[in-house]
Amino acid sequence: MRAISKAFPGVVALDRAELRASFGRVTALVGANGAGKSTLMNILGGIVVRDSGEILVAGAEVALRTPIESLQAGIGFVQQELNSLPTMSISENIFIDAFPLKFGGIDYRECNRRSQVLLQRLGAKLDPSATVGELSVGDRQLVEIARALRRDPKLLIFDEPTSSLSRRERERLFEVIRGLRTEGVAIIYISHFLDEIFEISDDLVVMRNGRTVFSGEISSLNERELVRHMMGARENEAPLQKRRPADATELLRIESLSRGDVLKDVTLTLKAGEVVGLWGLLGAGRTELLRAIVGLDPIDKGVLSWNEAGRTMAIRPAELYRRAGFVTEDRRGEGLFLGMSVGDNIVMPNLRDISRLGLVRGNEQRRAAGAMITRLGIKVSAQEQKVSTLSGGNQQKVVFARWLASAPKLLLLDEPTRGLDVDAKTEILRLVNELADAGTAVLLVSSELEELTRACDRYLVIIRGQIVAELPAGATREELVNALSLTAGQEVAA
Amino acid sequence: MMRAFATFRNSGAMIVLVVTYAVFSVAAPSFFGLQNLLDITHVISPMIIVATGMALVVMSGKLDISVGSIAYVASAVFALIMRNGSLSVPAAVVASTAAGVGLGCVNAAIVVGLRVNSLIATLGTMIAFRGLGLFMTDGGLIVLPERVKSLGNVAIGPLYVDTIIALAILFAVQLLHRRTTLGRQLTAIGNNEEVARRIGIPVDRRTCVTLLISGAFAAIAGVIYTLQVGVNTAKIGDGMEFTAVAAVVVGGVSLFGGRGNILVSVILGSLIFQIIRSGLQQVGADPYSYRLVEGVVIFIAMYADALKTGHVDSVGGRLFRKS
Repeated sequence: MRAISKAFPGVVALDRAELRASFGRVTALVGANGAGKSTLMNILGGIVVRDSGEILVAGAEVALRTPIESLQAGIGFVQQELNSLPTMSISENIFIDAFPLKFGGIDYRECNRRSQVLLQRLGAKLDPSATVGELSVGDRQLVEIARALRRDPKLLIFDEPTSSLSRRERERLFEVIRGLRTEGVAIIYISHFLDEIFEISDDLVVMRNGRTVFSGEISSLNERELVRHMMGARENEAPLQKRRPADATELLRIESLSRGDVLKDVTLTLKAGEVVGLWGLLGAGRTELLRAIVGLDPIDKGVLSWNEAGRTMAIRPAELYRRAGFVTEDRRGEGLFLGMSVGDNIVMPNLRDISRLGLVRGNEQRRAAGAMITRLGIKVSAQEQKVSTLSGGNQQKVVFARWLASAPKLLLLDEPTRGLDVDAKTEILRLVNELADAGTAVLLVSSELEELTRACDRYLVIIRGQIVAELPAGATREELVNALSLTAGQEVAA
Repeated sequence: MMRAFATFRNSGAMIVLVVTYAVFSVAAPSFFGLQNLLDITHVISPMIIVATGMALVVMSGKLDISVGSIAYVASAVFALIMRNGSLSVPAAVVASTAAGVGLGCVNAAIVVGLRVNSLIATLGTMIAFRGLGLFMTDGGLIVLPERVKSLGNVAIGPLYVDTIIALAILFAVQLLHRRTTLGRQLTAIGNNEEVARRIGIPVDRRTCVTLLISGAFAAIAGVIYTLQVGVNTAKIGDGMEFTAVAAVVVGGVSLFGGRGNILVSVILGSLIFQIIRSGLQQVGADPYSYRLVEGVVIFIAMYADALKTGHVDSVGGRLFRKS
């Protein structure tokens, strides 16, 4: 792929990205959240159409305007979410778009025979007439790989194939990938797990901010260098001025919180008025930890204690949810009523304070919302403007305005600045800082190191569901990057 | 086919069918017997044909509730041609069916071309098509000529011809669903349309064909029904769409798409509704109670479907779940 560019409304997702995959080799594609990997692969899969640039498959240029064109060009795509048809049989899943026919009807015998051959090639002992909905996730994935193999692809893309697999299933998948490599198939492998990348791949392509920043053999660099490529080496902006409350009491203590394979014995404490950065790669359990704390996902074990009015008490996650603010990158999905006005959105959680006899007082609402808009510098023409017409940064400010008004003791932030421009990011961080100065404890997840280093008072490093290290406020970027690669390295060794 | 019979035995609808049949046979002795059963197969043949088309649509995860109105328009076309006397009966049947296909095209254009949800789109065309029929007939009665009327009750041996036609259509569609690429891809679309698109199934083309088939079958059913009663009235096909959806789902095709056996579902579902209807008739129940009983059966079937496909946790799950 040469000089591929793609812009979505408001964002440049790809800026002259390059990628090269060779027959009989596994090329790993890595990059932080939002680096453009998915967009690049969706272009190869014909799901997204590029704005410019050229794609050559075995020397011939291809257009790739639809998924079908991509398949015809010899590109197979095993997507992260499974594309299976649960009520149908394995052989039907494999041959659904091109059944072998006999006398105008489907030749099921041929269909099953060829499915059997494909499954054997993958080393899977499955009955082709079994219903796919009854298979394990790993087996379903094999069925999808078999479907891709049916077309004898020249190139096979695996997009985060191991994210929902057990350890054994993962080993089996690697065997399959190695087998395909020996057969001469070109493979692109996308993963956030660095140990997997070093285990399986021959070549490496690193992307950052829509560009290709590294391309070469994987043996030419080590994990630390890889992480550095992913994170970039931009200049640090000045950290924010912090005026934290002096008498910081412990607000929340979490002990041995576990949830399946995702979170393992997480123990941490949060003090009032501190910003703690949760630092780890995507898929390390960052989001899962936040969700578990407030009961959005069930937990297997763990004790939460909460300090309220000088007393410490045990608290259930669901109760904590009522006392905490939770802001995610998904402003539209989880936070805002897009069809309603900015004013309505701001006062929504605090309607009781501005009501009398059960009726909302219009003047009070205007006053409260107006004060918030001024305080946060939300750029609107009028309070009545619909939230859906605002920019991402201003939408996120509206979300914050809500939490400011209700002043929660605890604020959980999951990539709060994702997709915002630099100025909007700074303003959001300033708000977080302001809340912390006022005594709110903040747990902040971000893929962007520089964002964390500007706002955080300390860092917790999370890898594969475990908190593996704690670093103080003064930690440099180097130290944070090393914390990830060192501990990842230890895990590989272990 | 063997699998189809196994499904017959395992189906909960089978139990409902046997129980209702037994209950009415005890309550009204005239109900029990071969002749009454044959009469029932005669009466339900239009329903079987409509439900067969509907089953294909539901299998692909969509709905076509304009079938009642399409049946009405086809009936009007047929009756007008007969009154006019310009064409032979077979030619009139072809013309009416073509009208059904044409209206199916309109549905397909709205659902596929304009990307309107199939329920909303066919709700609109349901109203519009009935208006079209009323416009064509001035809303009045059109009685068929005597020589044509008698065609509605022709029998070969013990079986009525319309029963044979209905069963032939049903068996053909069963084969289409189980043994052809079109049938399997419809099921795939019903599993998950987005996934089907990504895999490379021509979703739009398949959806169009399904709606055309549904329109054609509705028209054939409309003509057969008109022959049975001998007259075109503004009430023809009224409520047919809901009974058809209900019959298909009661029989076991999932309303969420992708699941079920068409042959078994259509036969069981259509029979259950007709047995309830004629059973209540024979025990002398208030005609206004039919719809009440049917409504309860529909509700139970839908809830059972939701349980089976996991859209609801368990019986009473929502009422008694602890916080």
